[in-house]
Amino acid sequence: MPHARRVESQGVDKIVSPPEYASPTIEHLYDDHHDWLQGWLRRRLGNAADAADLAHDAFLRLIEKPRRFDSAPEARVYLRTMANGLCVDLWRRRSIEQAWLDTLAARPEAVAPSAEHQVIVLEALQEIDTMLRSLPPKAARAFVLAVAGDMTHKEVAQELGVSTRTVTTYVAQAMLHCLRLEARQVVEELPCSGEQTPSFPTTVPAVS
Amino acid sequence: MTTASLKSTPSEPSHGVLEQAAEWFAVLDSGEATAADRSRWESWLAESAEHQEAWRYVERISHRFEPIKASSERQTAITAYERANSVLARRRQVLLGIASIAGSGLLGWITWRHTPLPGTAQAWMADYRTGTGEVREIALSDGTRIWINAVSAFNQDYRPDQRRLQLVKGEVLIDTAADPLRRPFYVETPQGRLQALGTRFTVRLDETETFVAVFEGRIEVRTATTGATTIIPAGQQLRFTDASLAAAEAADPAREAWTRGLLVARNIPLSDVVKELRRHHHGHLGLAPEVADLRVFGGYPVGDPDRTLAMLESVMPIRVHRTQPWWVSIEPRGEAAR
Repeated sequence: MPHARRVESQGVDKIVSPPEYASPTIEHLYDDHHDWLQGWLRRRLGNAADAADLAHDAFLRLIEKPRRFDSAPEARVYLRTMANGLCVDLWRRRSIEQAWLDTLAARPEAVAPSAEHQVIVLEALQEIDTMLRSLPPKAARAFVLAVAGDMTHKEVAQELGVSTRTVTTYVAQAMLHCLRLEARQVVEELPCSGEQTPSFPTTVPAVS
Repeated sequence: MTTASLKSTPSEPSHGVLEQAAEWFAVLDSGEATAADRSRWESWLAESAEHQEAWRYVERISHRFEPIKASSERQTAITAYERANSVLARRRQVLLGIASIAGSGLLGWITWRHTPLPGTAQAWMADYRTGTGEVREIALSDGTRIWINAVSAFNQDYRPDQRRLQLVKGEVLIDTAADPLRRPFYVETPQGRLQALGTRFTVRLDETETFVAVFEGRIEVRTATTGATTIIPAGQQLRFTDASLAAAEAADPAREAWTRGLLVARNIPLSDVVKELRRHHHGHLGLAPEVADLRVFGGYPVGDPDRTLAMLESVMPIRVHRTQPWWVSIEPRGEAAR
């Protein structure tokens, strides 16, 4: 998978940027910041191969959703924020994979599922984790037990030690969260304020 | 891949319709749906193309669970998911602990932050806590009075040489008493430490910030990681993170009104009012993004969410949609109702 992407991204230099994206082109951004970003990722991950993959992923995303930057530091803050998100992704995907392999190994049955089947389930788990990760843990758990586990809300309630109504609320909230993600993807995201890079509030929001 | 579906669907379901779809999913998924529920759902679905589109989203999301549901290893997969999440949660906790050790020199603070408990568990085990819709007044042994807002929790730790409170969740208003033993009075939050210099003040924990408003006396703030300090005089308020202090601004005396179950709004966004209402409302209270920024003025009895919602509905271009008592959503008025 990372290899396929790598091949694709060798074409980075040749990609023509949209006309309105005039100031620093993606080629310039790549030239100016790619090595720096890869170095930053390498220090963070302690692994050159992962760092190279993620640096390429970061630039691929920038090609998919071009942005303009008024200065080099601004571009670096943005790239670093994005790369940081990619590190977290990688970290979570690996954690899920490890847990899946460990749990498979620990179960009593003698016959392991086929390798292909293992990969299908793993990918589904990773996709679900990506979708649910920003939910409160209990709501995510309730949703997974109810939907993947086909448990009634009463059964989930017993498992989690909460009321049935709370489980139903969790399930509805989790589904709403997923629906909103889905809707955002479909619309392909308007130039949204949530992308305004780093998440530290520097100004004081109005207070009642 | 997404562009194709974009072309075939000119309009995307509104937030309100997505909320209805999520709620229908939960009802049908509960294992207790009746034939009447199903037929109500069917008529909802038949009502509009927007409802059908929203339901397609629901199906797409359910579909992602198919490989697990169909697997002979379903239980193993769910166990693996839960295991991975508890490992991730534990690591996050350790990281927070390390961050606070690195920054703070206060031993008690470290042991508190290092406690490997999620926030909710900490709140459950706190000395004083309130649930949804509950505001309480507490008198401590030294005569200090504390009003504790709904869904809030704090610990009390009085020692021979100091009086210390730890705010674990939510908001408190503190009216300190003069201590015969002249012990200093501290309030700690994950973002830092406040020292009361004879005062009346309110402290609130938001996700990553502490908010303080001082009505009488003065407060000294010290941030947890960087140790930045400042003194907030009476009539000022500010926010701080564990690393930095925002600029102080004039305190709004109306901030005290919650102790009487009131919210006095002066040109604040509806989303802030809803945030406050959620402390008092059992269940889900949704807010459509289209109306989140509407400005609100006036006094509202947030301790009585139903009344507040009715009042808001009468003065603002919003509609309160209530399909279940525990599932309430606020939508723009005039949106495809019923």
